[in-house]
Amino acid sequence: MRNRRLVATLAGITTAMTLAGCGLSGAQADDAGSEPSSSDVTGEITGDVTLQTWALKAGFSDYIEGVIAAFEEKYPGTHVNWIDQPGEGYEDKLLAQASAGELPDVTNTTPAFGFQLAKEGLLEDLTQLDDELDSTYVAGALEGFQFAGIEGTYGYPWYLTTELNYWNTDLLTQAGLDPESPPRDFDELLAAARTVKSATDGQAYLMSKKPNLGDFASAGVKVINDEGTEFVFNSKDAVALLDEYRQAYADGLLPQDVLTDKFLGHTELFKKGAVGWTTGGGNFIAGAIADNPSLEDKFALSPHFGTPPLDVQGVSVPKTSKNKATAIALARFLTNAENQEAFADLVPGIFPSTLSSQSDFAASDGSDIAEAKAIAFASLDDARVLEPVQVSSAMSTIINQEIAAAMTGQVSSREALDTAVEKCNQMLSE
Amino acid sequence: MRRSTRPSRSATRCSPSRAARGRGRVVDRDTAPSDQRDPKRTEEPMSATAQAGGARWSAQAGGGAEGQSESIGASRPTTAAFGRARRIRTHSWFAPWLLCLPAIAFLVVFNLVPAINVVVLAFTNAKMLSGGTFVGADNFVRMLHDDQVGTALVNGLVYLAVCLPFLLVLPLGLAVLVEKKIPAIGFFRTMFYTPVVASAVVVGLIWTWLLDDRGAINAIAKSLGLITRSVPFLTDRWLLLLSAISLTIWKGLGYYMVIYLSALGSVPRELHEAAAVDGASAWRRFWSVTVPGVRGTMFLVGVLITVGALRVFSELFILTNGTGGVGGANVSIVMLVQMYASGFNGNLGYASALSVLLFVVTLVPLAVIARVQRRTEQ
Repeated sequence: MRNRRLVATLAGITTAMTLAGCGLSGAQADDAGSEPSSSDVTGEITGDVTLQTWALKAGFSDYIEGVIAAFEEKYPGTHVNWIDQPGEGYEDKLLAQASAGELPDVTNTTPAFGFQLAKEGLLEDLTQLDDELDSTYVAGALEGFQFAGIEGTYGYPWYLTTELNYWNTDLLTQAGLDPESPPRDFDELLAAARTVKSATDGQAYLMSKKPNLGDFASAGVKVINDEGTEFVFNSKDAVALLDEYRQAYADGLLPQDVLTDKFLGHTELFKKGAVGWTTGGGNFIAGAIADNPSLEDKFALSPHFGTPPLDVQGVSVPKTSKNKATAIALARFLTNAENQEAFADLVPGIFPSTLSSQSDFAASDGSDIAEAKAIAFASLDDARVLEPVQVSSAMSTIINQEIAAAMTGQVSSREALDTAVEKCNQMLSE
Repeated sequence: MRRSTRPSRSATRCSPSRAARGRGRVVDRDTAPSDQRDPKRTEEPMSATAQAGGARWSAQAGGGAEGQSESIGASRPTTAAFGRARRIRTHSWFAPWLLCLPAIAFLVVFNLVPAINVVVLAFTNAKMLSGGTFVGADNFVRMLHDDQVGTALVNGLVYLAVCLPFLLVLPLGLAVLVEKKIPAIGFFRTMFYTPVVASAVVVGLIWTWLLDDRGAINAIAKSLGLITRSVPFLTDRWLLLLSAISLTIWKGLGYYMVIYLSALGSVPRELHEAAAVDGASAWRRFWSVTVPGVRGTMFLVGVLITVGALRVFSELFILTNGTGGVGGANVSIVMLVQMYASGFNGNLGYASALSVLLFVVTLVPLAVIARVQRRTEQ
């Protein structure tokens, strides 16, 4: 009898714990606090705040620590606790912090991360808190943190990057192509790839990249409707583009394993001198030469085909911040023109998002590094965030799977894109 | 043999085991010193309480051989010890539970609750950052229309069908070979076991270097003139699955070999010797002595292989870098769970439904194996 009672008690405890475990609740807006009001940020700028950056400690500790020291000096009584997360798994880290309601006071975000957090009501709407956003930052960068279907702006734009084309002059010359006049669009790229293949008897490649959603958007394909409620990248143009890639793959213009993510990647192959073309940011050259010094003086540069991708980094302030006044002040300080310009001077290829800084980076001394920086800077006007913020990692996997299936001929381009759109729309609607 | 003349309260309340009753013996747990029941403990220092407790457990255990031995010069427990023993005996019903409580709590918190939680989540549309609502069987209906689930199931069954015979037999053969005590056999045992302890990253790199387009196998085959174009080990559906299965077998050989080695140690050597005297060949002795001797272990290995094959993840993940192969043709159910449950937009509800499916799918072959084992034992 007693045993039965004990079992019943244990069962009760288990049920209770189960129910407790089934709360299903992530960090909700209601949990996070009340709606922001100006009073939240008019308090005294003092006390401790935490700044979280994304993979900056390894290369830019001095810069970030300098900014923090300057902030603490400007606002006596403040103390900034800087934490830096590794590049890999940053999304998971943010997710864990958000679930626990422990996002740092000033958190490095991208538009994609900002959208997911803002959608759940976890970030402060800066439009409500800062009247100087429009007069401080370039419109394109601000738009990165303004999301369809959600009113407001959810991040201070920080540094911007875009991409350009890099060519290996040795390989182009070997194939009889003029390195001074590299391909200017995708059709010319395909033609040059055929030339390289025949000139090297299939031993070298010019192209080594499977298309992704960004490539479709860059080529002018509309990826999602204006409301951000439905994917539409199965248009006729998209099918035609995928057909071209499919033919190129069938003709052996790309390495076979380009379809797997195990593939080394076109930038890595370019660094090894194995392929003749890659895309990269304005600071790509320095890293490539550091990895393979034999590449020095073998670069030809040209603007990105189609619409260049815009990569926007920003900092957001979560609603859970307990020291919002200081957090906002730190976010503003970190992204002010002076600090952003200093950062851009330090890192070739990144550019400030502040309006007053936009005329300072067009000059070039003729070196490859400076030239790349100048081309990237010139591309900023046309650059856009190509992959919609609504695209989740699961959607990306499905899109990549379908594109790979089409390129191997398992399904037609039309079928692949229709399937991808259908599945992504299902996920978007859930 | 001494028979107790004064049965204790506990002896009447907690009836002795069938074994004790069968011998017509009731142990006096209040007065009998512990060494009376455990001759091994005669020389050991033991508190009176422990002695009394030991007496009770001994009686509950059925009064085995230790309970039948005579007292050899042990002191009798004190009155205080009797009192403590009575108190413990009074609450004897919860003492075992008390001892098990940490383990039970751990089991409930870290196994039972999450398991039940997964089942509950399977009926919701929960996301990673937002609570879900009850959606009935929608997730399971969606599964029926998800072609990737079908692909994952087929992959899992193929994996099982190929892995099971190889991993059931090869490690046994390997164990028989390395069981012999010959010089340097330790080296071979270590080498066979090395893949088991190799990290997933190292294994992934090694196998990718071997198998990819510019990998060692393709490069050697090309240099020998055997092929002109690389064999698509990592891009063809079945070749990729075969590569992953090879990886599983490579990693599993040493693991199951060690399990078989321990089982082989318990096969009576006399049987082998008797069979040899009877003129049985080595092959005959293997089939007639070794295999029956390790049959129980083979069932265990079979269960482990079955569960492992249906839950395959790391091998396919390593070789495809998480994509599930070209067109997702090589995904496993675990990979689908991972895919749907990752990221900000992670669909916990659907991922949980897939987990439930995996659980059910794993149960079927396990039930078959259990039934076969029961029949064999009978």
